[in-house]
Amino acid sequence: MKEIKMKKKKRFDYIDVIAHIVLILFSACILYPMLHVLAVSFSGVLPILQNRVTIFPIDFTFENYTFFMEHSEFISGFVNQVWYTIEGVAANLFFTALMAYPLSKMRLIGRKWIMRLCVFTMYFSGGLIPLYMQIRNMGLGNSEWAWIFGGLIATYYLIIMINGYQAIPESLYEAAYLDGASDFQVFFMIALPLTKATLASLGLFFFINHWNSWYSAMLYLDDPAKFPLQLFMRSVLIEDELMKNTPEFSQEIAPIGVKNSLIVLSMIPVMVVYPFVQKYFVTGVMMGSVKG
Amino acid sequence: MSKNTSVQSAEPAKGRRLEKRNAKGGTSFLHRLWSQRELWLMLLPGIAYYIIFHYLPMYGLRLAFINYSPILGYDRSPWVGFANFERLFVKNYNLFITMLKNTLLTGLLSFGTTFPLTILFSLVLNEIRQPKVKKAYQTISYLPTFLSMVIICSIFIELFSVKNGLVNKVIEWFGYEPISFMLEPWGYYLVYTLSGLWAAIGNGAIIYLSALSGVDQEMYEAAEIDGCSRLKRIWHITLPAIAPTVITMFLLNIGSLIKVGADKSLLLRTDAIISDVYMFSTYVYDNGIAKGQVSYTAAVGFFESVVCGILLLTFNYIARKRTGTSIW
Repeated sequence: MKEIKMKKKKRFDYIDVIAHIVLILFSACILYPMLHVLAVSFSGVLPILQNRVTIFPIDFTFENYTFFMEHSEFISGFVNQVWYTIEGVAANLFFTALMAYPLSKMRLIGRKWIMRLCVFTMYFSGGLIPLYMQIRNMGLGNSEWAWIFGGLIATYYLIIMINGYQAIPESLYEAAYLDGASDFQVFFMIALPLTKATLASLGLFFFINHWNSWYSAMLYLDDPAKFPLQLFMRSVLIEDELMKNTPEFSQEIAPIGVKNSLIVLSMIPVMVVYPFVQKYFVTGVMMGSVKG
Repeated sequence: MSKNTSVQSAEPAKGRRLEKRNAKGGTSFLHRLWSQRELWLMLLPGIAYYIIFHYLPMYGLRLAFINYSPILGYDRSPWVGFANFERLFVKNYNLFITMLKNTLLTGLLSFGTTFPLTILFSLVLNEIRQPKVKKAYQTISYLPTFLSMVIICSIFIELFSVKNGLVNKVIEWFGYEPISFMLEPWGYYLVYTLSGLWAAIGNGAIIYLSALSGVDQEMYEAAEIDGCSRLKRIWHITLPAIAPTVITMFLLNIGSLIKVGADKSLLLRTDAIISDVYMFSTYVYDNGIAKGQVSYTAAVGFFESVVCGILLLTFNYIARKRTGTSIW
C-alpha cells in the first residue's frame, strides 16, 4: 500500500512533459502515413484527385479494391506469395530447430568448431555473385527453393534456438534418456514441445521475412507466372507499370487509390496472423538479447 | 556469441551418461562418436546448408581471379590474377571512389542516425511511468516492422512526390516552390534516411527496453532518496544498464556501414540519379546479375566483404579491450 501511495505522489515534472510530447509526435509520424494509406484506399475518385483525403476516407467506397478482384497478376502473385511463405516458414523452422538441438548439447563432439564455422558466416560472406552462381548452377533458379534453401538457416536465429533448448531444465532430458529414449525421440517429444514459445517467435520472424520478400524473387525467378505479390507490388507501386497501361485511370479510378488499396490488401495475411502470435513478437526480439 | 553460460548444469549429467555408456563398452573417441550418431544425423542437413550456401560461395570467390565465361565454366576459364581488381581500383578509379563514397554515405546516414536515435527513443520511452500508455507508444512505434520494403518505399515516395506529396504541400504552404526530391541525389538520401528511421526505431528499441525492464526499481528509488535528479538517474543508472546491449547491437550492425544491401536503393533510385547514387551492391546487381559481368563484380563484392570483415574485427577488438563486451 505504501509503495502505491508513493508512486502516485510522484510529481509530473518537466521530463514527463517532454517525454510525452516527443512520443506523441513520434507516434503521429508513424501513424499518419499508415492511416492516410488506409483512408485513401477507401475514398472516392474526386476527393483523392483533389487531394482532400487526410486520415479519414471521404466518399467511402470499395471501388479501389474491386480493381484487383479479377486482376490475374494480383491473384497469382498473392497465391504464390502465400505458398512461398508457407514453404519458407516450414523449412526455416524445421531445419533451424533440427540443427540447433545437437548444438545445444555440450557433450556433442566438435560442437565448438561447428559453432565457430556458423558464426564466421556472420562476419564474412562470398557476396552476392558467387552465391547466385552456386544457386543457378545447382538448378535451383526459377523456383522459390533458390532463396528458401539459400537462406535456410540464419546463424542469429540458430543461436536463439540453441538458447531456447538450453533453457529447458536438464532433468527433463535426463529422465527421458534414462527411460531409454533415443535422441530423436527426445527431440520430437520433449525438446520441440517445450520450446513452443521460441518456435512461435522465430516462426513470426520467418513469416514476416517471407511475406515481405521481393528481392530474392527478382534475382532468381524468370517466369512471370511465378512472381510473388511483392514483386507485382513493386511494378505497380514503384514503377507505375499498371498506371501506364490502363486508360480508364484518373477518370473513374484514381491511381493512388488503387495503389493504396493494393498495400492494404497485401497486409491482410499479416493482420490475420498477428493477433495469434502478437505476444511472441516482443519476447522474440528480447530473446536476441539473451546472449551467451 | 558462441559461448554459452547456462550449461554448467549439464556437466554432472554428462558424467552419468558416460558411466552408463562405459558399461556398454569403453569411452574411446569412436565410441563416443557412435553414441552421438543421432545427434550428428540431425546436424547433417544444417552442416550441408552451411557448406553449400556459405563456404562453397566463398570458394567461388575465385571468380574474381579468373575471366569467367559461362561456356568454359570455373575450371577452364583463363586465370587473370588481379586484373579484375586492377580494373576496379585503377582503371575505374573515379567510379570506385564514387561507389565508396556513396556506400559509406548511405551506411553512415542509416546507421549513424538509426543507432543513436533508437537509444534515445528507448530512454525517452523508459521515462513514461504509466505502463499502459508506455505500451501503447511502443506498439505504435514498431508497427512499420510488419510492412515490406516495397510498401515503405512506396509510402515515402508518395509523401515526397512533387504533386500532392504531403512534404511538398507543407513547402508550398510556406510559399516555396515544390521540390522533386526523387530526382536529386540529396533528396534520395533524405528519403532513404527518413524511411529507414521510420521503419527501424521502434523495432530496434524493443531490445533496449527489455534490457531496461531488468533494472531493479529500488536503485532508482534509492538514488531519488539520495537526492539524485531524474536526468542524473538516467545518466548513472539507465545508461549503464543498457551499455552492454548497446555495444552488442553496435557490433552486430557496424558491418552495415559498408555492407549496404541493394534492395532499398533499387526501389528508391530514379533513372535521373542512377549513376550518382551507385553503391557497391547496386553496381554488382546492375552489372553482375543484369549484365552478366560476373568476374568483375565478384571482385567488387570480394572487396566489400573484406572491408566489412576488417571493420567488424577491428571494432570487436576495441570493444573487448575497452569494455570487456564483444561478440567474437
